[in-house]
Amino acid sequence: MNQDAREGILNRLKSAPRNNPDARPPKPVLSETGLDREGMLERFTSELTAQTGTTYRVQSGEEALAVLARIAAEEGLRSIIVAGKALPGMDLKAFGDREGVAVTAAPETADREALRQAAFTADAGVTFADFAVAETGTVGLIFRQDQPRLVSIAPPVHIAVIPVDKLHPVYEDVIGQVFGETDHIPSQFAFITGPSATADIQAVGFKGMHGPVKVFAIFVTGRE
Amino acid sequence: MHSRVDKFVETARRELKVELSQAFLLMLSLGAPIMRQIGLSSFPDPAAAEAYSRAVRAEAVDRLPELLEEFERNATARGVQVIWARDAAEANSAILDIAQRRGIRYVTKGKSLVTEEIGLNEHLVEGGVEVFETDLGEVITQLLSLPPFHLVGPALNVPPEEISAVFLKKGIISEPTTVPVELGKAARAYLREKFRHLDMGIVGVNVAVAETGTFINVENEGNIRLTKSSPKTLVAVMSLEKVVPTMADALHLVRMVCRNCTGQKLSSYVSMDTGPKKTGEIDGPEEVFIVIVDNGRSEIYRDPQARQILRCIRCGACANVCPVYAKIGGYPYGFAYTGPMGQVMNPLLLGIEACSDLYRACTLCGACSKICPAGVDHPSLILEYRAREIRLKNGGSADFRSRAGKALASLLSMVMGSSLLWRLGVKCARPVLNRFARGGYISGIPTGPQAWFGCRDLRAMPARTFHEQWQDLQAGSGREAS
Repeated sequence: MNQDAREGILNRLKSAPRNNPDARPPKPVLSETGLDREGMLERFTSELTAQTGTTYRVQSGEEALAVLARIAAEEGLRSIIVAGKALPGMDLKAFGDREGVAVTAAPETADREALRQAAFTADAGVTFADFAVAETGTVGLIFRQDQPRLVSIAPPVHIAVIPVDKLHPVYEDVIGQVFGETDHIPSQFAFITGPSATADIQAVGFKGMHGPVKVFAIFVTGRE
Repeated sequence: MHSRVDKFVETARRELKVELSQAFLLMLSLGAPIMRQIGLSSFPDPAAAEAYSRAVRAEAVDRLPELLEEFERNATARGVQVIWARDAAEANSAILDIAQRRGIRYVTKGKSLVTEEIGLNEHLVEGGVEVFETDLGEVITQLLSLPPFHLVGPALNVPPEEISAVFLKKGIISEPTTVPVELGKAARAYLREKFRHLDMGIVGVNVAVAETGTFINVENEGNIRLTKSSPKTLVAVMSLEKVVPTMADALHLVRMVCRNCTGQKLSSYVSMDTGPKKTGEIDGPEEVFIVIVDNGRSEIYRDPQARQILRCIRCGACANVCPVYAKIGGYPYGFAYTGPMGQVMNPLLLGIEACSDLYRACTLCGACSKICPAGVDHPSLILEYRAREIRLKNGGSADFRSRAGKALASLLSMVMGSSLLWRLGVKCARPVLNRFARGGYISGIPTGPQAWFGCRDLRAMPARTFHEQWQDLQAGSGREAS
């Protein structure tokens, strides 16, 4: 029956008079294309700030941990769930023991149920992100075995740690890398720009509808 | 969705008297176009960005059959199960069947207009599957059984008192509150439990990409990401025109849809799915179904004039600039699609003859087509539907009246083309017309165009024309000066 439906629909579409598409106009230019690293960091920061997010710049994994400790203290984080490939110098288990924060490594959870339990009860999700885009202060995450999806959406706080060489001017720079190799397209890729938000009642806007209330981005630049 | 288009006039009359709707519409029609302008101004050349998105949508519609086949091929190759549905009944029964076979008791849903069009929620509930809408606006319209007020913000006009009352009744809150943020947080807490134990999620599709078999969702709340991440089974429902050739095309459309919809450069979340989760992944769906819904669209595609409505990307910008929508709001449109795009879409889905009021409630000002990022020319379609309705009424052929009308129009255009003839004509016609005036208005002429007067009055004519009055004035001021 489904085959009938498919053939029926496609045959009707194909039997319609055919228009040949006009040539496309030139692709519109974007103001972010060609920004240098400093320009990208500035643009990323101002865009994320506009979404109530906070951007940090540190030189090393150790410094990133210090920022993380400060956020944990300010936000009163007692449990975090962590995903992604940890950067050098960022042993989060040891960090948790030192700071008195319960740390769950998401990839080590036994199954979907255990992951859901951990992600929906954690105070924050920490992700080692794959990409960032200056255009809109956006973090890009490839979901895979070591980066489960719920870590960045279920907890009320999301902290993304990003090596600065993964920061690009515009979306196309990132999409080319994620979708370019057709044999390795991830099951899901997401752009995340600031906290979850809504304005559905009386157009009163607020952050933290179903996802995180707060978003932090920590760029690790390496020794300069 | 059950159509209430036949109640257009009475619903519009009622809404005109609802103070809250009116206050809100004023705010929306003043504010939203400004937000849109600010959003678009982040492009160095906004006109070029608009021209490009229009070209992408035009090309996508022109190449629709081949793009759908390419999309299906690539999605299937990555493990997605593609289901084609000719109409609402086929789509609904396919989705209910997926749920029942897996013993699903409830689903969460991301906002999806096509599922409203086909009445999916009602069908699932009748089949014993509970449905939780999760977009805050949709939660409210679902609980209150309201039609959508706006394409994007379906419950924007609903008073917080009503939301509080229904939330109390459903146990979402235990104390009444009219603070929007508190109501939102209560809905968050209530739905978190649903997401956490979810076995099957249903979402719509903003853009589908032929070259990769990817489908993309654009949202701010995070309900769609949770619906796509938590359960084992995921169903994405797309109307068949959503597909574009490449990821680059899709990204440009995402840029445009956000700016035109809310004035944002980008929504909080843009999630792009290509197949089910891979081996070893802990969350994400084990099986992904994409239901491609026709429901009359392949017939629309064969209609050379109407085909262009398939370019629409559902941003809702046309409603925000429409002077008619700004007065009556979304309820009178009586179906899933509101505002100018609804005026153009609903008659094709529900029948030209059933929607007469819809395409007559238009001043043809063209504000909608001027700003449409997809390049839909709404007024041309509205005129086309009006002509079709007349042809349908006349049994498809030109009758004496339409031939007489044509002759009259030719005569008028000749008279209007010559200032001498026009002035003469106006001078002679005035006393004749004024004989039918009652209380300052001419509401009909015995042998005149009855249909024309059916929805219009003419003001009684002053004795002297504007030109004559102007000459008098000039002469008067001339005297004063000298």
